Amino acid sequence: MTDGRCSLDAKKILLWAGVALVIVVGAVFLMRPASGDVQNVTPDRAAELVADGVRVVDVRTPGEYDLSHIPGAENVPMDVLASEASAWDPGEPLLVYCTTGARSAQAVTYLEAQGFETIYHLDAGIVTWSGDLEKGSEIAEMPADVKPGDSPVIYEFSTDW
Amino acid sequence: MKPVVDRLKQEYEGRVEFRIYDVDKDSEGQELMRQYGAQYVPTFVFVNSDGTEANRAVGETSESEMRRLLDSLQ
Repeated sequence: MTDGRCSLDAKKILLWAGVALVIVVGAVFLMRPASGDVQNVTPDRAAELVADGVRVVDVRTPGEYDLSHIPGAENVPMDVLASEASAWDPGEPLLVYCTTGARSAQAVTYLEAQGFETIYHLDAGIVTWSGDLEKGSEIAEMPADVKPGDSPVIYEFSTDW
Repeated sequence: MKPVVDRLKQEYEGRVEFRIYDVDKDSEGQELMRQYGAQYVPTFVFVNSDGTEANRAVGETSESEMRRLLDSLQ
């Protein structure tokens, strides 16, 4: 009988130890630093975020940024993102974009790994943005240096991206 | 787009002048793009021989659409 009683107590102890372990592990899991919350957003949602004053990060080249960018966006090209972002508050929400979403996807992955908690990604890029743009948002007059020629001309503006 | 543009460039040689700019690297292209108010890449601007803009195509554009726009140039 005694052996049986001891065995029962040992089982109870083991059971409660198991329950305690689950509680501790659960608590540790819940209290760990929040992992990055990355949300792909539509242009309309991005426009709302811009209106709300979210920090807007344009990871394109300075040349592309100069041509036109989302109002209020700061230009942080990919090659300087790491050094610039190291000085930012990881708790501050960011809206990240590039031309078509390829570069910004890399930027978002990096920023998430650095502990930025809330990242909004305009994953289809500025090409889908229909709101106002700073610079270049109006159809310009015919460029002064484009003179009528002997034949029609097609201009292609592109990048390697 | 490059194979399409290369093919069309060859086909329309002598009839339409192709000016192709990599706006990441070419400052003249960046300035022209700014002057035309083109916001996206790729953008194609079709200009008649009198200097007036006939059309523009933004983004990936089919070869048939490119031909239609090229054929409409005067």
